[in-house]
Amino acid sequence: MQQGGGSETEVTWEDQQNINKFGRLNNRFHELEDEIRIAKETNENLEDASNELILTDEEVVRFQIGEVFTHMSKEEVESKIEQMQEVTSKNLEKLEEEKDSMLAQMAELKKILYGKFKDSINLEED
Amino acid sequence: MASSSAVSERRGIPGASFVEDVQIYLTQSGLDANSALSFLQERLQQYKLVEMRLLAQQRDLQAKIPDIEKCLDIVATLQVKKGTGEALIADFEVSEGIYSRACIEDTDSVCLWLGANVMLEYSCEEAVALLQKNLENARASLEVLVGDLQFVRDQVTVTQVTIARVYNWDVHQRRSRQAASTTPKES
Repeated sequence: MQQGGGSETEVTWEDQQNINKFGRLNNRFHELEDEIRIAKETNENLEDASNELILTDEEVVRFQIGEVFTHMSKEEVESKIEQMQEVTSKNLEKLEEEKDSMLAQMAELKKILYGKFKDSINLEED
Repeated sequence: MASSSAVSERRGIPGASFVEDVQIYLTQSGLDANSALSFLQERLQQYKLVEMRLLAQQRDLQAKIPDIEKCLDIVATLQVKKGTGEALIADFEVSEGIYSRACIEDTDSVCLWLGANVMLEYSCEEAVALLQKNLENARASLEVLVGDLQFVRDQVTVTQVTIARVYNWDVHQRRSRQAASTTPKES
């Protein structure tokens, strides 16, 4: 945080709590961005896998569970992939919602803190 | 120390007291601005160390949880195959890039790696129960850890703000003293 040039504004406990809350939200926001990126990648991979599956004419597909590749029929793998896609999509939706909520709360806090401290506080990303 | 309206500590981590008034804080602690600043900087470093430790623990747990979920997946797959009478064929890695084929017959039990070079045989149901319990424990530990991290980060923020305020107070004091020492010359 920037150090103001000997400013007069007093910092109350409520201000401190707002600053703490902003910090927490900001941290969670960055974590969410990472999680969303990973969820999107997983979605893409599942999409690719599903497409490959349609193209292949092999009946037995090696599907990875844990560290091994089990031999499964094409249909079983198809339904497995569909299941996984559903789970990932729901998860992605939830993460995006949380991210929007974070952004809204952070905007609110910025208004309050900049309102009181103006230049003495810096809440932007470096 | 000036009044603190915060939690005084959490699981062995001391809380950073909030300073209501810098002047009173310095008078009560008997420190001048520079000593106070060094003390606060030291506290900040200690908090940062704790944060590093917690982050490392968090990474470990976050790696452990998908592992347990994969184990549960495999056991579930074995259980599904059980009814059909077919053997489960799986390719597994023997060494980097080299795979071998395993034919897993209908089975009622699995072996679970417990760590410390110990592997135990369990019935499928017992295995699922054990893995579920481990998964729940890991998730609960992760939650507590995240709470700890939030607490430490809050204390870091409080300390950083206090450092800024003590510094500003000091700058303000110097300016006032300078202004006071130059005015007599004007008279």
